[in-house]
Amino acid sequence: MLKLHRSTLVLCAILALLIFALFAGAGVAKPLHAWDWMDIASEGGTTLLAGCWLVMLLGSRPGGLVTRWLSGGLAAIMLGNWADLLDEFFKMGRDQYVNHWLEALVAVGMVTVTVGMYFWRHEQAHLNQHLEKRERLFRDHRAFDRITQLADANYLRRQIRLERQRNPGQACAVALLDIDGFHLINRTFGQREGDRALQAVGHMLLLNLRSDDLLCRYAGDRFAVLMPATSEVDAASRAQHLCAMVRQMRHHAGAVPVPLTLRHASAPADAAPDVVLRQLNRAMAPA
Amino acid sequence: MIRYCQADAPFIPARHQPALVLDYARSRDVPETVLVRGTGLLLADVPAAGDTLSPRAYLQLLANVGASLASPDTSFMLGQQMLPGHYGAVSHALLHAQNLRQALGTLVAWQSRLCPLLSPRWREEGGLAVLYWTDPFGAPGQLPFLVEMHMTAVVAMCRWLGGQRLPWRFCFNRCAPRQREQHEVHLGPALQFDCHLDAMLIDAALLDQPWPRGNATAAAVALADIAHEAQAQAPALLAALYDYLLEHIRCGPTLEGSAAAFGTSAATFKRHLARHGTHFQAELDQVRTHVALYLFQMRRYDNEAAAAYLGFHDATNFRRSFKRWTGQTPSLLRSGLA
Repeated sequence: MLKLHRSTLVLCAILALLIFALFAGAGVAKPLHAWDWMDIASEGGTTLLAGCWLVMLLGSRPGGLVTRWLSGGLAAIMLGNWADLLDEFFKMGRDQYVNHWLEALVAVGMVTVTVGMYFWRHEQAHLNQHLEKRERLFRDHRAFDRITQLADANYLRRQIRLERQRNPGQACAVALLDIDGFHLINRTFGQREGDRALQAVGHMLLLNLRSDDLLCRYAGDRFAVLMPATSEVDAASRAQHLCAMVRQMRHHAGAVPVPLTLRHASAPADAAPDVVLRQLNRAMAPA
Repeated sequence: MIRYCQADAPFIPARHQPALVLDYARSRDVPETVLVRGTGLLLADVPAAGDTLSPRAYLQLLANVGASLASPDTSFMLGQQMLPGHYGAVSHALLHAQNLRQALGTLVAWQSRLCPLLSPRWREEGGLAVLYWTDPFGAPGQLPFLVEMHMTAVVAMCRWLGGQRLPWRFCFNRCAPRQREQHEVHLGPALQFDCHLDAMLIDAALLDQPWPRGNATAAAVALADIAHEAQAQAPALLAALYDYLLEHIRCGPTLEGSAAAFGTSAATFKRHLARHGTHFQAELDQVRTHVALYLFQMRRYDNEAAAAYLGFHDATNFRRSFKRWTGQTPSLLRSGLA
């Protein structure tokens, strides 16, 4: 990610050097005994930390509006503090206001970051909407599978438990969905095609879920759907619908059509998650 | 004199199993430098034709991949593609196996080619066939990973070649993992933990069910092609010792006697075993545990009979020893296995 923002980082470095040149050229170096170590430590530390935040931010975000505002603000804070720090080493003439202007960068930066945060909130709201069926009001970034970007079985168990705590009396169902002959896709076309099939099925399932439902990758080619406020009969018909939708897909490995079909089992989530899931897995086994 | 090879003998062609592991790791974006650390492998897309790895280096490669991906499905995914593999004629023989019996026979006979890091052993009695796995090169820390990988390999191979999922039952020599979804999906729902043996059980009637791809001629030709290599690779030290102990288990084998059979002094033999992270008594206890389990399970022996078979003075002594080997009394274990 950092490579993407190389020009921003280079620009910051050049500006920092320019400010240094300005102070070194226009100011007079202060003697060592006039240095205020306390100020140097605090202003130097702030500069360094603001620089770290900038690098971390750029390292974790793609470009775009929010990134521009946030990184611009952090860069301004860093440069303002940098000027403030250089002020401790160089004495500027009374008539030169440039250092005061530079120090005002800190305030400008804070306003900029705040604006960035505001846009970030908007962005996050959109992302949350997008992630809704994958995570349901609880975030744990470690629980996500790298291939399908879905949560794992552990997360599912936690969500079943949470759901039962939140709405003790309410019916709630879990369905497992398994891709038929998935191992044949791996054998015939290789594991990368297998991964693509998993992704395709994951997308198709997500498109056909309600916003309250949660889709997880249970393990291997087995998906799990948690359906809150759903009766057993309803759950079975919804699972059937999901299978029908996947059957309609026209998935291809290269140019070769690969028909994808699912089989399913569903049950009410009215016991401990382990018990429910074990029972469902037994129901999946014979096929 | 018994021939054997040790964990640092380079005999695994880098283009066989290690190449598959490398390929999988790359598909999951493991950094190359992390991948080959400590294995002596060079950074190349495909390993050179003549390159070989020692079991220790291959184990290191697996450890690197496992640690780098830190994902519970790594062992299972690696197992999925391991068999029949692309290991030359012996893979062809597996591919054309006529039935489960022949496939397992080939697997056991050619283990140093097909699954060098874990020894498959096969027993059949009373309508039950058992495929169990022992550690040939001493990698106790990696054993759960290896067992998952190899069991998945056999299950996936049989499912593909046989055209259907076989009703295996699984026993694991480990405590139940916190999450068993990977086991359930990649192996099957019949899982049992804390068993003192890593084994796969199946109804013996399924051994001779014909497989759709079976081709007697192709399999025979493939095996005939490499028949001259059958003796070329010496078995792994711990696997050879296991065989020796199993054969002599009723005569109270000793360290000195075993060392002599392997053509070394007792001190050297001890050192070899230590380098594999084990010692003679541990190996002996393991074989005796396995034999006792076999007697209980397949022959329905009681403590008296098992004690007599293994050369104990009486059942009490046997019971005490068994508790020392497994941490459980025979009767407890028997009720657990039933």
